[in-house]
Amino acid sequence: MNTELLNEISENLQRGKAKVVKELVQKAVDEGIEPDAILKEGLLSGMNVIGEKFKTNEVYVPEVLVAARAMNMGVGVLKPLLAEAGVKAEGKVCIGTVQGDLHDIGKNLVKLMFEGKGLEVVDLGTDVSPDTFVQTAIEQNCQIIACSALLTTTMGVMEEVVKKAEEAGIRDKVKIMIGGAPVDEAYCKKIGADVYTPDAASAADAAVELCRSLKAAG
Amino acid sequence: MTNRERVQAVLSFEKPDDRLPMIEWASWWDKTIRAWQEQGLSRELPWHEIAPTLGLDQHIQYWLPHRGPGCPGPKFNGGPIMEDEESYEAILPFLYPEHGPDGQLEDMRRRKAEHDAGAYPIWFSLDGGFWFPRTLFGIEGHLYSFYDYPELYHRILDDLADYQLRQMERIYEILTPDFMTFGEDMSYNNGPMLSEACFDEFLLPYYKKVVPFIREHGTKVIVDTDGDVTKMIPWLRRAGIEGVLPLERQAGVDLPALREAYPDFLFIGAFDKMTMRRDAEAMRGEFERLLPVMKTGGFIPSVDHQTPPDVPLERYRVYVAMLEEYASRAVRE
Ligand code: B12
Repeated sequence: MNTELLNEISENLQRGKAKVVKELVQKAVDEGIEPDAILKEGLLSGMNVIGEKFKTNEVYVPEVLVAARAMNMGVGVLKPLLAEAGVKAEGKVCIGTVQGDLHDIGKNLVKLMFEGKGLEVVDLGTDVSPDTFVQTAIEQNCQIIACSALLTTTMGVMEEVVKKAEEAGIRDKVKIMIGGAPVDEAYCKKIGADVYTPDAASAADAAVELCRSLKAAG
Repeated sequence: MTNRERVQAVLSFEKPDDRLPMIEWASWWDKTIRAWQEQGLSRELPWHEIAPTLGLDQHIQYWLPHRGPGCPGPKFNGGPIMEDEESYEAILPFLYPEHGPDGQLEDMRRRKAEHDAGAYPIWFSLDGGFWFPRTLFGIEGHLYSFYDYPELYHRILDDLADYQLRQMERIYEILTPDFMTFGEDMSYNNGPMLSEACFDEFLLPYYKKVVPFIREHGTKVIVDTDGDVTKMIPWLRRAGIEGVLPLERQAGVDLPALREAYPDFLFIGAFDKMTMRRDAEAMRGEFERLLPVMKTGGFIPSVDHQTPPDVPLERYRVYVAMLEEYASRAVRE
């Protein structure tokens, strides 16, 4: 396999060169490299580097966004091929900023990092009600509900999401992740959510773990 | 001592005779005021009289307008009003309104005598080099614009700086504001939103153009950026900035450590708003944390950005009483 080409994809992705990434992915396809390998060893591995660097403040929000855009251009080329080959996502997540809250920069980054780990994401946008989170998880078979809140006045909605999920009887099948500026580990425990992380890259790592453990548990 | 003298003293690292200033630097969160009205705060009070009624010092802020009447607004909250060079040209006639600040300047003229007499400090705010392009490109487009439209970004900041310099000339013909802020909000819980390289390429030249003019007039130059500003302070200092606010505790800002690292930098804010949601004891603990820095000068303690709506009015009154206690102790002890 042409690992040099895959590295080139990864490196251009990290520099946010969307057009180049798209061309290189097409080239890799034309050379007969498996779509799954292009995805994992080219695109997702590049996004992984960006995620790690974002965690340690070596790159910042704009760099993550342009890298993710490049990733999505590449994924666009691969999507039909992946579907054909029957490659499945690592898991499915619905994400949103909770009711009353319009802050979405962080939520969008978490979404991109999820995608960067090969997860399928349903983006519910901002101002999302607890019912919408829970209904979406049920209807779309999501393993994870991810809630973002940036305000002390809206973080309470996350507790509602946990309650609604319990009422709907999906708590054993669906994990709830929370994050955002006023949220912390203690709050996560207090409301009975499953995972809190302080940044988007760790959120994606944790989400993959959760999906794997759910799968293992059958 | 007058309100204005206290602020001037602290911002020059001198001790006021009686106490530190007692201000809530940010304008009130509308939800908080509505909640307090339910709890007995008079509904008749004009906005600018809320602070003195609650026992705080008065201060007057002017936020210069950067967009004129008729300027198209975003289609959704945080959305763009332009995208590229061409659409910038199209909205240009609505930006940088030469007569936009006329009303504010008129108000300054009216207040000049009171300001001279020390009744209140006056400060003004400008949309900064991060904030202003964000209002044009939209929240998300802006974050891409550093990579997608670097030349346009520079052009916008050139136009912005020229406009601000012209308008500030007009202000200084009337009076000398005591301090000013660049509204930026370019940091968050995990630190800066942009890299140092990006800051140096885009924001530094802008600040270098505007800041010296303000400093020449003796107005203290402060950057308003939420979140954890720790890592950015050296960048800001290189740009000639003299201080920051609001030093958000929830984002991890450690004011005593910053004071140790930067003995000559100005700080406003730093009081952890989250303690106000708990109880009096938590608030006292917070004042104890800040007291040593209050004593060093160059620091005006104030809520680290807007008292939240779930703080009851009664507890806010306790907060103000404690602020007074510590503001006095800071100069006496
Ligand atoms: C930018 C900003 C805005 C922008 C938002 C634009 C947008 N479309 O998002 C604007 C100007 C519109 C805005 C408005 C307001 N804001 Co505001 N805002 C901010 C600011 C400066 C940065 C937020 C941000 O974008 N961060 C960047 C991203 C990348 O970080 P993040 O969101 O924290 O996300 C990261 C992690 O938290 C995590 N994460 C995020 N979500 C999730 C989810 C999961 C599941 C996981 C695991 C992880 C995770 O990963 C992300 C990336 O690593 C913060 C300050 C701060 N300390 O955060 C204030 C802040 C959040 N705002 C505040 C306030 C008060 C407001 C207003 C109420 C102001 C007003 N009085 O009108 C309004 C509210 C509007 C509304 N109804 O939502 C206060 C909240 C205080 C409080 N009591 O809670 C803050 C903290 C400012 C402060 N100093 O006090 N704001």
